[in-house]
Amino acid sequence: MNHEKSGQGMNTQSDCIVDIQGLNKWFGALHVLNDVDLTVASGARVVVCGPSGSGKSTLIRCINGLESYQRGTLCLAGTTLGLNARETAAARRLTGMVFQSFNLFPHLTVLSNCTLALRRVAGKSHREAQDIAMAHLEKVRIPEKAGSYPGQLSGGQQQRVAIARALCLNPRIMLFDEPTSALDPEMIKEVLDVMVALARDGMTMVCVTHEMGFAREVADQVVFMDGGRILDRAPARDFFGASGHPRSRLFLETILKH
Amino acid sequence: MGFDLAFALSSVPTILGAVGTTLCVAFVSCIGAAAIGFFFEMVRRAGGIAGLTVGFVIDFIRSTPVLAWLYFLYFVLPFYGIRLGSMTVGVMGLSLYYSGYLAEVFKAGIDAIPKGQSEAARALSLSRRHAVIYVIAPQMLRNIAAPLGNYFVSILKATPYLAVLAVPEMLGRAFDIASETYRYTEPLVVAGLIFLVLALAISNGVKRLERRLLAVGSR
Amino acid sequence: MPASLFDIWLGILQGLGTTVTVTLYGLMFAVPFALVFGIAQFLTHGVARLLVTSVIEFWRSSAVIILLFVFYYALPVVGITLSAMTVSAMVLGLNAGGYASQAVRAGLQALPSGQREAGAALGLSRAAILVLIELPQALVAMSPTFVNTLIQLVKATALVSLVTLTDMTFRAKEIAQVEYNPVAIYTALLLAFFVVCYPIALAGRWLEARIAAPGSRSHGI
Repeated sequence: MNHEKSGQGMNTQSDCIVDIQGLNKWFGALHVLNDVDLTVASGARVVVCGPSGSGKSTLIRCINGLESYQRGTLCLAGTTLGLNARETAAARRLTGMVFQSFNLFPHLTVLSNCTLALRRVAGKSHREAQDIAMAHLEKVRIPEKAGSYPGQLSGGQQQRVAIARALCLNPRIMLFDEPTSALDPEMIKEVLDVMVALARDGMTMVCVTHEMGFAREVADQVVFMDGGRILDRAPARDFFGASGHPRSRLFLETILKH
Repeated sequence: MGFDLAFALSSVPTILGAVGTTLCVAFVSCIGAAAIGFFFEMVRRAGGIAGLTVGFVIDFIRSTPVLAWLYFLYFVLPFYGIRLGSMTVGVMGLSLYYSGYLAEVFKAGIDAIPKGQSEAARALSLSRRHAVIYVIAPQMLRNIAAPLGNYFVSILKATPYLAVLAVPEMLGRAFDIASETYRYTEPLVVAGLIFLVLALAISNGVKRLERRLLAVGSR
Repeated sequence: MPASLFDIWLGILQGLGTTVTVTLYGLMFAVPFALVFGIAQFLTHGVARLLVTSVIEFWRSSAVIILLFVFYYALPVVGITLSAMTVSAMVLGLNAGGYASQAVRAGLQALPSGQREAGAALGLSRAAILVLIELPQALVAMSPTFVNTLIQLVKATALVSLVTLTDMTFRAKEIAQVEYNPVAIYTALLLAFFVVCYPIALAGRWLEARIAAPGSRSHGI
């Protein structure tokens, strides 16, 4: 249904927010991304999983241009990243990113963390920026902490603030890089709840995570990576069913058993 | 002979009268050292031949005594026809010498900021300039505040070196009294005690500042 | 005939012996002071700690140039006559020792308390824990700081020229009296200290890199 809503009057090409073809990246001699193809349609929710060192974080960091790539193409909303610095920067503004280690600015209050880009990038007035930021802080259910500093919050609270901060610029796609991996177990749920609510609202998401419960609930495509390659991709229903790639079955068994 | 307390006390006002000069010299030198040190660190960070050269200059400064630098400037500048007051030369010497140390302070202050901070700034589409102004610089300032304060104390304790250039700071005044009265112990002890009290008081202030900075917004 | 930069440099190096002697004698004051007072500050509490801290702060927080003059001029007044060499080594050494004592204390404090608890669980006495477990780790961790303090000590020896000892700085001033060539003389003086201190600094950096990569120590070559 989402496809119809956002696809009005657009051809299929622009309906596809991320279009990755034959992407290759090396760190020195290490081949971290090996011929990766991936398309993410508007409104799609893609979960990327795989063992550590499989290249999944590098892939998601390529999507907003935090990492460069050496071969292949990566189109973000019709702009090929890495060709032109100004176009790359403009395309990046359509993304919001949430990091494993939150990366909140420790010297700024929660509210200022959220308003910084609104003021300096989007050019909003002080008033406007605060209103937008407070709306998003309410969405992640933490408005009462607006005046606190990140160091005064729990990990789960910090990550929810980080999500609000990323939402403030009204991105067309949200990128999550292992958002719950640095959290204590009792805090994982509060962050996943926010992410599920975001998915329900129709946000396009690419999410690197090992939370298979989350993947089962919201993903419409699960991608399994290992050794810099995408080994398996399937609708969530099939991925967790019996038909998957042997490597992803093995991986699933390992992490579901803990 | 022994220690004449009354004479020592009588020398206090004269020596104390130079506290202003001492603090002023230390303060200006500290600002000069910070400015040169910051410039050095920026050039070193940029790399290339200029960066390597500046890196070597920093190492050279750190491997040589402040007294040698003071003599160098004091005697070499007039040789090239540059005549400056001894106070100016003294401030230049302290600034140059301590810039080598403050460059390291800036380096540590920048290196201590997690890589994720500039990545988050990029992910939020902040320009390079805005990232530096709003994200990197405030955190660097917080990281360097305490070491900078400690170096201010070091510079303060180095100001009596300027007595060898005949700058009228506290040690210079003490020697003036000594050469008039042929009594060295009392004025030197008085000058030493005043420096000790100043250094301890400022160090204490720096420690408090450090604790407050750690308390606010610790991660 | 004007002397060349190299001649002047050689002339200044005639003072190297004094510079090295003051440094070595200074270390004989600095090392014991740093160990005894650093450990004492780590172990003591209350009034005892206050006393230990006062002694350390006197040597560490005073302006070393004034300390040198005070002891040089004041000791004879109270009837103690020491050579300029001894006074210099003592003052510079204890000043450096004051700095190093803080590294010793910080190194000991930085160790996780589990180290001491593990030693106690093995039945070791407090002294044995200190000597066998805590000190070796703390001293290794702090060795780059000690190297920096050594460089500071070498550089501080330039001060002894002010109390009539013929070190490199004093030689430079002597040469300056017979030779009007300040550029060469003071460049040579800076270079003379550089060739002494820079190798020490490089050794310190090497040490630091080695400590930062503990694997290189445990696996050997």
